[in-house]
Amino acid sequence: MKTRARWPRLLACGAALALTVSLSACGSGSGGGGGGDDGKIHILVYGDASNKVEKQIVATFNKTSKVKAVLDTIPGADYQQKLQTIINTPQAPDVFFNWGGGSIKPFVKADLLMPLDDFIKDDPGLKDNFLPSVLSSAVLDGKSYGVPMRGTQPVLLFHNKKVLADAGVRPPKTWDELLAAVKTLKSKGVTPIALGGGDQWPTLMWFEYVYDRVAGPELFRKAVNGDKDAWASADSKKALGMIRDLVEAGAFGTNYDSVKYTNGASPALVARGKAAFELMGSWYYAQQQQDAKDFAEKGLGYTAFPTVPGGKGDPSDIVGNTNNFYSVLKKTKHPEAVEKFLKLMYSDEFVKAQLAIGNLPTTTNTPKFLDTSASPAYARFQYDLVKKAPSFQLSWDQAYPPSANAPIRQAVQQFFNGQLDTDGFIKAMQALPTE
Amino acid sequence: MTTQMTSPPAVAGPVRKARRAESSYVARVGRPGFAWALPATLFFAVFAIVPLIMVAVLSFMSWNGLGSPEFAGLDNWRRVLDDPVMIKSIWLTLLLTALGVAVQTPLSIVLGVWAAGPQRNRAVLSAIYFIPLLLSSTAVSVLWRALLDPNFGIPAQVTWLFGDGNLFGEQSTAIGVLAFVSTWQFTPFHTLIYQGAARAIPPVLYQAAEIDGAGRYRQFFHITLPQLRTSVITSMIIMIVGGLTTFETVLILTQGGPGTDTTISAYYMYQKAFKGFDFGAGAAIALVLVIAATVVSLIVVRVSGYDKMRSTMEGVS
Repeated sequence: MKTRARWPRLLACGAALALTVSLSACGSGSGGGGGGDDGKIHILVYGDASNKVEKQIVATFNKTSKVKAVLDTIPGADYQQKLQTIINTPQAPDVFFNWGGGSIKPFVKADLLMPLDDFIKDDPGLKDNFLPSVLSSAVLDGKSYGVPMRGTQPVLLFHNKKVLADAGVRPPKTWDELLAAVKTLKSKGVTPIALGGGDQWPTLMWFEYVYDRVAGPELFRKAVNGDKDAWASADSKKALGMIRDLVEAGAFGTNYDSVKYTNGASPALVARGKAAFELMGSWYYAQQQQDAKDFAEKGLGYTAFPTVPGGKGDPSDIVGNTNNFYSVLKKTKHPEAVEKFLKLMYSDEFVKAQLAIGNLPTTTNTPKFLDTSASPAYARFQYDLVKKAPSFQLSWDQAYPPSANAPIRQAVQQFFNGQLDTDGFIKAMQALPTE
Repeated sequence: MTTQMTSPPAVAGPVRKARRAESSYVARVGRPGFAWALPATLFFAVFAIVPLIMVAVLSFMSWNGLGSPEFAGLDNWRRVLDDPVMIKSIWLTLLLTALGVAVQTPLSIVLGVWAAGPQRNRAVLSAIYFIPLLLSSTAVSVLWRALLDPNFGIPAQVTWLFGDGNLFGEQSTAIGVLAFVSTWQFTPFHTLIYQGAARAIPPVLYQAAEIDGAGRYRQFFHITLPQLRTSVITSMIIMIVGGLTTFETVLILTQGGPGTDTTISAYYMYQKAFKGFDFGAGAAIALVLVIAATVVSLIVVRVSGYDKMRSTMEGVS
């Protein structure tokens, strides 16, 4: 009996001892850090299905390069958080994936990134081989910080062809046509526009387009650079008035805030003919192919966003995710190897591989291979759109620094549901942090 | 007086041998030595106390995750306490917690007492009823978000009750959904507590009550409920602490929306620290939450007399 009772105590003491020892071991381990120069360049990318191409490109690079490249991935949603925690440590990569704009602004401010202007001087192809409207979203303070990789994702107005035909409505070319279409569709008992308001960012897309059409890209550019008066301008108020009209006309129905895009609910509304339009990034096509293959092939139509007569913005301006970029850390030990690696981003091999997995690269040699893409007509439509666009506005929540993300999304949702009026919305936008 | 119930009778033996026997009896039945608490204490210190101190320090610093934190004085605290969203989030947190306690407590007492009984099929039904407890909060939230979709979910079929189904578009219904989902998920756990406690009530009490002519309802209110007192408090403290730190359900079901109408403190902290990279403000919010949770738990313990550890077994032998 007695010896049995002693065992647990011994065990507990042992466990406690082991715990303290292992913990102190951890503590001393993390401080030192490996990192430094291991004679390789580390490429850090967002972990998803596109990694297939990145692996291929790294393999191609390693075939000829003396300095080898290593591909590291961070899965999905945690990317930005993890990046932020390692970028200023010895574990930081040499080259990393980002969204341009606000996603790298804090790093530029902390003087961690290398301006790529010297690379471009060395090889003008790093600039000339890409579409200009895309490149500009990785330019900060007049310096280039990113080389495009993966594909472009402009926002388009999608529609269900059959629903429009049944209602006798043609895809709208102007804002007034859109309002008229809303009215007709509503009278037929169809929700005119599907909106995943529960996710908040789909709502934001409407603001991005209407503001650009009404005021041109300049208003937002000023605002994001700290000019708070831009939000209070007459153009800003006009854009808000137009959005208010659309919402009050019942364009989005009444329960859009309970609908999500991310769980497939809003695309299903369009695919099943319960709604006519949806404003969404170009990935919508792939989403519909996955959810409703038949509809995607036969019933899904797409157009550019309607024009606003009298508006200051160019009718061919677009908004969305301009592209993903590779940026380079200032402290990389192998800038020559990095430069060589970046040159692969406009190689034929890269373009073909991206098209094969459904991404649309924005290089000047892309048109040569568009026919090899899974849906050539759709790819060509987007490519021409991006090529012709004088301005390609990066999504607002990505153009602002990360700390502005939640307040922007809250404000657009509150403007749609009436909690914020025009003045309230302007105040909310003026309160956003710009650095 | 009643505290003596928990410690062994103090009868000191004059003989050494008897003392030894008695001390080993104390070791087995009475309070264990400090060494027993050592692992838990160490664990708690390393994973709770030390991080807590670090969070407290961080709340006086300005840090965006890059470079080293800089001392910012009371800046974070001023910003956080001036922030209308923060003030609103505290009220929302308390409201959701109170709703959780008010709905789940009676429900789980009734279910727990029922599940403690000897009825037929009881085991099968309770087993089914415990399933939500086995699912992760994330899975539960994703499930309910899909079930409550206004166009393809339950609301589309039951329009007389849900109208246009805009459950996540209004503050009142969004809060209702959050309270409902946590009730659905956590009631089984508290039911389990009450089931165990109800089983531990000596049958003698009921037999005596029956002889005295007490019916089922009198037995429930005069024997079962008083006997469950300490369990009620245990369960309530768990609910309160759980309610104050609710996070995943909000993250997945409402994302704090519409607007900031369901942005509870824990979610707001996540938004500030891990989405906006304002770790100083996030730390300040976290500390407010810790203080609030501690104060509420202390109040519950004080008011209920739980700290005096009175036994419910008086008069039972």
